[in-house]
Order: sequence, then structure tokens, then C-alpha cells
Amino acid sequence: MNINKNYTCKVVKPEDFDLFWVDVLDDLSQVDLKPEIIHDDLRSTKDIDIYQVFFNSLNNIRISAWLATPVSKMSDKPIPVILQLPGYQNDPLIPKYWPLNGYASLSLNHRGKVRSRSEFDPGYPGVLTHNITDRNSYSYKGIYSDVWASIDLLSSNYFDLANVKIDSNRIGVAGSSQGGGLTIIAAAMRKEIKAASCGAPYLCGYMDAIQLTNTYPYQEINDYLNLYPAQLDDVTNTLAYFDGMNFADKITCPIIMNVGLQDNVCPPETAYAIFEKIISKNKKIYEYDGYGHDAGRHLHDQVTLDFFEYNLGK
Amino acid sequence: MNKLRPSDFGSYWYEISKELSDVNMDSEMSVIPIRSNKSSTLYSVSLVGVGNYPLKGYLSIPNAKGPFPTIYFVPRNASVLEIIPQGTSNAIRDQFVIFSLACRGMRNSDNPHVSMYPGQLTENVDSVEDYIYREIVADTLRGLDFILTRPEIDKNSLLAQGNDIALLAAALHGAVTHVVATPGYFFDTIDIAKSTTSYPLEEFNDYLRLYPDSEDNVRETLSYFNLRWHAQSISANTLIICGDSENVYSKSNLTPLIDNINGKMTVKESENSAYKDGLFIQEWIADEIGDGVPVLPQHWK
Repeated sequence: MNINKNYTCKVVKPEDFDLFWVDVLDDLSQVDLKPEIIHDDLRSTKDIDIYQVFFNSLNNIRISAWLATPVSKMSDKPIPVILQLPGYQNDPLIPKYWPLNGYASLSLNHRGKVRSRSEFDPGYPGVLTHNITDRNSYSYKGIYSDVWASIDLLSSNYFDLANVKIDSNRIGVAGSSQGGGLTIIAAAMRKEIKAASCGAPYLCGYMDAIQLTNTYPYQEINDYLNLYPAQLDDVTNTLAYFDGMNFADKITCPIIMNVGLQDNVCPPETAYAIFEKIISKNKKIYEYDGYGHDAGRHLHDQVTLDFFEYNLGK
Repeated sequence: MNKLRPSDFGSYWYEISKELSDVNMDSEMSVIPIRSNKSSTLYSVSLVGVGNYPLKGYLSIPNAKGPFPTIYFVPRNASVLEIIPQGTSNAIRDQFVIFSLACRGMRNSDNPHVSMYPGQLTENVDSVEDYIYREIVADTLRGLDFILTRPEIDKNSLLAQGNDIALLAAALHGAVTHVVATPGYFFDTIDIAKSTTSYPLEEFNDYLRLYPDSEDNVRETLSYFNLRWHAQSISANTLIICGDSENVYSKSNLTPLIDNINGKMTVKESENSAYKDGLFIQEWIADEIGDGVPVLPQHWK
């Protein structure tokens, strides 16, 4: 199949897009994070300390995360940190990969995920269409807020309490699939993010994606519209507030993107479309022909490490 | 590795089967309208497993005259129960009966027991009788019992697909005619785990790091699940996806498994591409139980 690399998504940015998100961020800023940081003896090794982290996010929903730090580097000098954002339905990993490469890392379990689902749990499938006709209660309003709250946590001095010295001036963000989409959201709305690595971005060009593919999870929206065809306009309107395309013009940090040209989950056309809209002058897309939703990760991992070393140091 | 198969290996698994047969399945089905369409209907399925544990699954049946070849997506080492795996063309539901089951601890089957991920793989792992996978395997077999009750299925074409559990299902239940499996944790587990820091195997390393005195017990428990000892009981046509030469589950490391499976054997060494590996799997399924034409997502055509 030939990919149209000049594809443009049809989503239109709502006039009150910025106002909507300013209000959300304002609400989020009122939340007392109330963080807890607990050393996890089971998951720690002689080289890596693992912590279970808990904090409040929008609507005071309790969110969990894994923090991983390299034992050898936890001296007085703060180290850079990578915020690792999860895929749609997989379980967030304990991010031991990053400490092995010299970074601290926070792996977010946003609301609805394992360890963060006691107060919000639409299930999978389900999250993508939960309250999809109401921007004020749509699932991703909370999930995006969880991402931003985790950045608030990283850029605060809360981790000092556990003697974890993170350099809040050197925060990177990484993720693939939904993690890639959330990377877009993080980099767009938080200037604390100094570098971003985005793979196979989901949540970008929703209404195009549902016509370009017939696979889950985008298929959830098709399922919804098949049952409720009269709600097409409401769905389209809600998603316009959440579409990564409409955040792209706020991204100014260095960013790389990797895309598999045979991606059967997040159509590569939408990756090209959002890459084109990102305004950062320091951006690069890596195309992997012969690769699917993995987006050539096997070949791309070293590219990502080099990118973060260049932009964040070690 | 425990060098020998446990002496009571057969009776261990017989006891589980007997325990399961003593529990009434009590299956119930209800249509899920939002996931149904002109071509197929999706049902929520309720079953009862050993210990009278309530289990949930999804059953998709083509809206046409059967019988149909059937794909059973066995329980995963992950929290989410999928209708079909992410990235699979939804059109596969037009040609195949599809059943997926959440074992105890997964979402949908997490009342009363909720598993953590990571965490599930080592739940009670130092006890042969209490290890969570003893019951998870039983849940998997219950799923097969349920499939066999459906008049829509073609019993000559029943494929189990997944990780290690797909192979255990084929070894322990004669109904499985085909298997697609990507082994990830139940082949010589502890020895293989020591050569990696990646999950899921890292779960076992974590556990033994904190509880080193448990190693003998853990090895004993896992010996009952070791695919090495189950291989000879597998007579289904089998496709194994193994890692590349640098992977802990490379073809060479899995040779004792591959060589001892009695069914027609196909081995695919992963190309670390979801596309290339996935295409191979869909073509194999189409050749083995389909009409020869793979059902592919748009971007693989």
C-alpha cells in the first residue's frame, strides 16, 4: 500500500480551543498533588532503585506511577529524567531501561490503568469513547491532565523527600502509540519538556484514522457511530478539542518521530500530517518501511538514546 | 532447569482437569450491540471456573451459515481482555468464530481476585498447589470446554493463539487442532530469566532477588509448567514465533521445545517487525484453517 505522505487531516480547531484548555489547566493547578513516594524493594536491583509513586490529578483522582533511578548516579548532582507515557491498553512498564542508560524515569499509569483505576475505569475497549459527546467529561480530559500533573510532579521538589535528585530543567518525554499521542500533548502544553520522542502517534487525526483503518482501538469510534449515527457531529466536535493535530502548533522543543509505513493501528498518514504541523524548528521524522505499529523500534532505540543525550545530556 | 520432568507431572495436571470437570460451567451469553455489526455479532460470555470463580469472555460469531473455523485468543499475561488483538482487521470476525477469555485476575474477571501487572507471574509461585497459573491454565481449558458447546464452530479447525498458554492449552486439551504461539516465560524460566532484565521474565528475577531462599520451590513449581515437558503432548499443527538470534527465546534456545512437538511444525524467527511477523501469522492461519486468503488490515495490503 502506498502511503500519502502529504495527507492532511480534516479536523478543525475550535475557536475556543485555547480557552477550554486554559480552564482545564487552571482547574488542575488547584489540585494538591499530595505525592507519596515509596521505595519498592521487590522491583529494585543493585543498580536501579524503583519507587511506587502516587499523586492526585484532576478531580482529585489518585494516579500511580513507577519511578526508576540509577543507583550509581544518585549523588548530589541532579540527573535528567524521561517521562515514559503508556500505550492505550498495555500495562505501563517499570522503566528499568532508562536507568540502565543513565536517566531517571517516571512511567505513568494514568487514570483507568492498572493501579490507577479504583476511581475511574471505563475499561478496554471503552476508554476511547467514554463520554465522547461531552468535552467536559470525555475520558481524555482527565488522562491529558494526568500527564500534565506528572510533569508538575517532576518539576517540583517532591522527589527530594526521597533523596531522588531529578533535574527539573532536563525533562524529556517519550512514548509510542497512545504514548506517542500523549507525548505530543505533553510537549505542547508544558514548557518544562525539553525534548520529546514520539512513536506511531495515536490520538492524532481521530476522524481520519477511523476511515483509514478498521482495527482496534480506533475501531471503538466506528462501533460507537454505527450504534449512534446521529451523534456524529457531537463526536466530531468533542474530538476536535482532544486531537493532537490541534496541539501541534504549540510544540517548540526538539522532537523526533518514528513511524512504521505498515502501521495497522495508527495510520502513518496521520503521523505525517501531525509532523507537518509541529512548529518546532528542531524536528525530524524517521520512516521505517517494512515495519508496523512497532514503528521500527528495534532499529530506532539507539536513535532515541542519542537524541536524548544530545538534548538532555546524561 | 530441573533436569527431569516431575514424577507426578501427569497426576498434577489430571487433578486440575478433574477439579474443573467437577464444576458446572454455567455458561451465559448476552449480545453486546455496540460491538456487533451486519457481518458479526459479539456476545459477552460468563463462565464458572475452578473454585466456582466467575470468568468473562468475548465471543464473536459471523452472521452467516456455519460451521466456521475458530480462533481462541487464550488468556494473556496482561490486564486487558481484547475482543481481537490490537491491529487485527475487524473483518476477521466475518470469517471466523473468535473467542477470547479473561483468566482470573484480568479485567472483566477480576472479582474477587485482581492481579497486578507486573506481579501476576509470581503470584504464589513458591507453591506448586497455590501458584496462580495452576488455576489460570484451568480457566484456559474451561474456555475450550465452552467453545466446544457452540454449534457454530468447525471442530476440525480450532486454533489457540497467544503466548505460552496457547501451547499449554494444546498440550492439555485434545480439542485444539492448531496453535500460534510466541513463548515468553514458561520455557526453562529461571535459567532463561537470569540472562535478561526485561519483563515479563524480570518478574521472576525480582522475586528471587527478594526471596532467594525460595528458588528451589519456585523451580519446582515452574517445572510443571515448563513447555519442555509439555511439548510431546502437542499434536496440533503449530506455528511458533521465536525471537531473533539475540533474544533469550531464540530458535536455538527453544530447540528442545520445537523438536519435541508432535504436530506439523512451523517456526518463524521474528524479524522484530509487527508487520512482517503479523503478516506471516495471518498467512499461516489462512492456509491452515481459512480459505487461503489472509484477512489483513488496510496497511498490510
